[in-house]
Amino acid sequence: MEFLNDVLVQPFADMAAAPDFLLQVLWEGLVGGVLYALIALGFVLIYKSSRIFNFAQGIMVVFAALTLVGLYEKGVPALLALPLTLAVMLVLAMTIERVVLRPLVNQPDIILFMATIGITLFLIGFGELIFGGENKVMITEQLFIPTGSIVFEPFGGFVSIEEKDLTAVIGAMVLVAALLVFLNKSKIGRAIRALGDDHQAALSVGISLSTIWVIVWFIAGVIALATGIVWGARAGVSFALEVIAFKALPVLMLGGLESVMGAIIGGLAIGILEKLFEIYWGQPLLGGNTEAWFAYMLALLVLLFRPQGLFGEKIIERV
Amino acid sequence: MKRMLKTAILSSALMMGVGLTGPAIAQDESVYIPNLAYRTGPFAATGTPLMNGQRDYITLLNERDGGLNGVKLEYDECETGYNTEKGVECYEKTKARAVVTQPWSTGITLQVLPKSNVDKIPILAPGYGFSPMADGKVFQWAYNPPSSYWDGASMILKNISDGNLDSLKDKKIAFLHLDHPFGKEPLPLLEVLAEKHGFELVPIPVGLTEMQNQSAQWLQIRRERPDFVVMWGWGAMNAGAITEAVKTKYPMDQFVGVWWSGHDGDLKLVGEQGKGYRSISWSVPNSESPLMADIKQYVVDAGKSQINQSEGEFDSVFYQRGLMISVILVEGIKAAQDEFDVRSPSPEQLRWGLENIKLDEARLKELGAEGMLVPFSTSCSDHTGHGGGWMLEWDGAKFVKASELLTPDRAEIEPLETEKAKEYSEANAPWPINEECEM
Repeated sequence: MEFLNDVLVQPFADMAAAPDFLLQVLWEGLVGGVLYALIALGFVLIYKSSRIFNFAQGIMVVFAALTLVGLYEKGVPALLALPLTLAVMLVLAMTIERVVLRPLVNQPDIILFMATIGITLFLIGFGELIFGGENKVMITEQLFIPTGSIVFEPFGGFVSIEEKDLTAVIGAMVLVAALLVFLNKSKIGRAIRALGDDHQAALSVGISLSTIWVIVWFIAGVIALATGIVWGARAGVSFALEVIAFKALPVLMLGGLESVMGAIIGGLAIGILEKLFEIYWGQPLLGGNTEAWFAYMLALLVLLFRPQGLFGEKIIERV
Repeated sequence: MKRMLKTAILSSALMMGVGLTGPAIAQDESVYIPNLAYRTGPFAATGTPLMNGQRDYITLLNERDGGLNGVKLEYDECETGYNTEKGVECYEKTKARAVVTQPWSTGITLQVLPKSNVDKIPILAPGYGFSPMADGKVFQWAYNPPSSYWDGASMILKNISDGNLDSLKDKKIAFLHLDHPFGKEPLPLLEVLAEKHGFELVPIPVGLTEMQNQSAQWLQIRRERPDFVVMWGWGAMNAGAITEAVKTKYPMDQFVGVWWSGHDGDLKLVGEQGKGYRSISWSVPNSESPLMADIKQYVVDAGKSQINQSEGEFDSVFYQRGLMISVILVEGIKAAQDEFDVRSPSPEQLRWGLENIKLDEARLKELGAEGMLVPFSTSCSDHTGHGGGWMLEWDGAKFVKASELLTPDRAEIEPLETEKAKEYSEANAPWPINEECEM
């Protein structure tokens, strides 16, 4: 009986007793969710256009953030370092397409997946060689990202919102909106979607595979840079950022690998639900650190009923 | 004709190669010191300066003194990325020539520990590993000088309670730790002390993927309102926790970390806002010391170091701690050389050496490292030395010494060490015990 009370009653009583704290939990969950969605988007875009599960997305986040900070440390002004980093990501996309992807056209998906593991290992070594392994400070203020905090006092308590988190949420929303417009309204966006639907058909109407791959990998690079700036502002820029890519996996399982909307909604759902579960059930009942597995459990539950994820495409293949 | 010419050239080249390498092997007597390093992966930021320090002290001895007692020290790194499986692979790869194992992670140490009795290669884990390794009768091949994690936990509690742990009664202490063997290591002692002295212990684990987004953990801290937060963090977890503490506005003077949570690179992220944060440490950086002057002259200025000078690594706590770790090892090798009158001691002889380290103040002064390391000595039954530590405090720009030498409460720790060592040996039976402490 006591157990049922702890599971079914007490958490909700705690929420009602301290609504300001609940708001803080929801806000932190939302921020986490937006960040997860950003990482997942990088995976989705590349998968959508080329059916490649890009294992290198995590290290691209590190590489982009390290390039930005590294250029600044070399004396390049922050506002110039930003476009220069984008240029580096474009060169990286072109190199990956030319050196890795083009020779592997028509190879099985698993070969391309293995190739992205190769890209990961290369970028780890290359990044380490150029930038070193030290934790670097993200140039938040130099990029005019506000660093203060806004404090509200609802219900006699307080809710603190970091301005850089708020900027991250707004920035991510703008990025996602721009991406959706680009994918749905522009000619290139339609070409990307066409390529994702059917490679052969897209090629037969004159869509250039090479160009689209470069564009998609570049966009993934832009998303990686945005993710790197946001995460780097929280705890510094180091190779540890690579680990956060693992947080995108349950988001992809939940939202579906091909769906931009799935990545966004999956990310937000996991961010908020895992935070609520950790604070009101995980910490009091299970000793905490449930965030390490909660998202996977949630994704597993969804997979039981919808194997293609919430927004994924149902693929029926003749055998 | 062409083929004959090719064969002739190839044969000559091979013969020359044999001719060159043959005598070279005979001449190259050296002490092989592998290090299971981690300069890559999520913990690279903390690993890199430590490895640089270890490497540079060995380079100094080779460059300045021609080695140790006339024999070159051969420092070699095997990259583990702080991954336990890779660490075990590195151990297997290097053990044939190794005189010592430096596992560099509590997880790897625990994996290698049972192998040490069979392979008879000493494990040196300064300031890390399994705390009961202090019991030399049970762990005959493992050493964790100069202070164990349990020593560290005891010193932190002594410091925050002004020397009287009973004053912590009814207080709440949050134990923020990495959810990893390293982070959980002090829990058995903390639980015993919490019960004995009546304080409430709130363990808060941080998973590997949550290191950089600890909002849930710090929301728990906000809800629990602990009187102190004690941190057992490593790598990116430290920076994540300190930035969250600033965000939560948790008082920095009530936030204390273990020695691996006192890295300049992590605190630089918050700068002035981290002022007052403390970390217990068995080493203190002193860039003005004679040892550091030699390191600068023979290693750094000679272009033989890998340190990043623009990041101020030379003055950092972790770089100089890396140097001290090699000082400890070299003292063990020297003790073995002197005792057995050999230039290149065997692993078994080094075991004796590591049991007979005497790094007192006079010896540290002789080495030019006075005040940079806690004085300690080891013995057959005491593989830690329990030298104690100092509190270091972040002043907004760097760590400064903020206490006199603190010592652990051995009376409280020792019974638990003996009990857990016994438990370990029974769980891993048959486990050889050296009751008489004889080699």
